[in-house]
Amino acid sequence: MATKKTIAIIGASGNMGSAIAKSLANAPYRILLFGKEEAKLKSLFKEIKNTNKKADAEIIGCAADASWEADIIIAAVPFAAEKDIAEKIRQVATGKIVISISNPLNETYTGLVTSSDTSSAEELQKLLPHSKVIKAFNTTFAGDFSQPVINGKTIDAFIAGNDEEALETVSDVVRSAGFNPIKAGALAVSRTLENMQSLLIQLSIKNNYNQVAGWKILHN
Amino acid sequence: MATGILLFQSITVILYYNNMYEVLFENVSKKIGLTKEEEQLLQTFFIPKKLRKKQYLLQEGDVSKYLAFVEKGMLRSYTVDEKGIEHIAEFAFEGWWMGDQFSFLTGEPSKYNIDALEDSELLLLTKQAEDQMLEKIPKMERFFRLLLQNHLIAIQGRLASSLSNTAEEKYNQLVQACPTIPQRVPQHMLASYLGITPETLSRLRKNISLRK
Ligand SMILES: NC(=O)c1ccc[n+]([C@@H]2O[C@H](COP(=O)([O-])OP(=O)(O)OC[C@H]3O[C@@H](n4cnc5c(N)ncnc54)[C@H](OP(=O)(O)O)[C@@H]3O)[C@@H](O)[C@H]2O)c1
Repeated sequence: MATKKTIAIIGASGNMGSAIAKSLANAPYRILLFGKEEAKLKSLFKEIKNTNKKADAEIIGCAADASWEADIIIAAVPFAAEKDIAEKIRQVATGKIVISISNPLNETYTGLVTSSDTSSAEELQKLLPHSKVIKAFNTTFAGDFSQPVINGKTIDAFIAGNDEEALETVSDVVRSAGFNPIKAGALAVSRTLENMQSLLIQLSIKNNYNQVAGWKILHN
Repeated sequence: MATGILLFQSITVILYYNNMYEVLFENVSKKIGLTKEEEQLLQTFFIPKKLRKKQYLLQEGDVSKYLAFVEKGMLRSYTVDEKGIEHIAEFAFEGWWMGDQFSFLTGEPSKYNIDALEDSELLLLTKQAEDQMLEKIPKMERFFRLLLQNHLIAIQGRLASSLSNTAEEKYNQLVQACPTIPQRVPQHMLASYLGITPETLSRLRKNISLRK
């Protein structure tokens, strides 16, 4: 029997945070929800419990406490808030997997605010030097979590990072959410992954994908 | 004024989380001397982890990835036999280490379960982090050598006492090692650890208190 892992979702009241929480609460994880909006968290918690009575989820009122109890921390906040979050959780995140999901988009969604020689994931790794930052869930829309299979095809979800064991663990998390994990490479590959989502957002706006769209590699 | 409050807040945050390593540093300093810088560095190798009462650190069949140092709370390790009966192997309190050394070192699946008997604050060490730590802070080699020696002595002592000592002697040894044990651990678990029935344990405790 595998020992249950605890996942803290920082920003669980947001679009991505709540989508990830709902989807992972159906897998054998313990989910800790932290967010600034108490009312939203409470209704999220209710929804999780209504869907799955056995779901192991809990609202935690402090980002550091949630992260202290966690094995895996998901930073489901905007890129601009990551510095603030990193300060709060740094001490308790030592040695832990921290998942970076952010896309550092500019205000018009036409590109990224980061320079081409870095990525939001690498910036988060600099802020949390003793944690294992892994890029994941940034190439999937929040809307995809309730529909990870489109036209009979499971959406590919790319992950990147420098620690092989951590990549393996995050692959399991991605698979539990219903996506097909693809290890794309080292953390620096996040630069490409973040640009891929920038493109997908622009195409989604142009072609009315309604933010239910994803990447799929066709291969033999 | 505003900066005053900010400063105060950041100081409380630092104090709060420095407590996470308090017992470890105390234990280390009893055996070896570390500079402040080495203490700072030492922190970076341990995963701070809170475990609630009844939650597992390790379940039978999994590889023991961590050695756990107990900063606060209490852990136990146990096996379950074919009849589904739990046999407690060890308890670990503040300042003690817990882990399935065999599984930790060989990578073989563990035969043990480890769970928390109280809400606990742990510091976890992986094999990889341990190796890096010993390389960066060679003094810690001495600390772990002494720790292993003590562990060996304790294991041999327990082995010898399980062969020759009476349950009462075993009970007294345990209480001597950790005086708060009778208040913190349920009777049936203590009995399981001593390899006697809860009835025998309760008779034994009555006899001991009568003699006092
Ligand atoms: N939406 C998507 O489809 C999608 C897809 C891939 C990746 N992402 C990435 O996912 C992240 C979250 O996006 P989202 O769409 O979920 O945004 P969102 O709905 O605005 O949610 C952001 C969450 O972060 C919280 N937050 C903001 N600043 C914070 C701070 N300083 N401290 C603590 N919490 C803070 C927010 O709380 P309050 O509401 O209380 O401020 C909210 O819970 C972003 O980095 C985005 O790039 C999004």
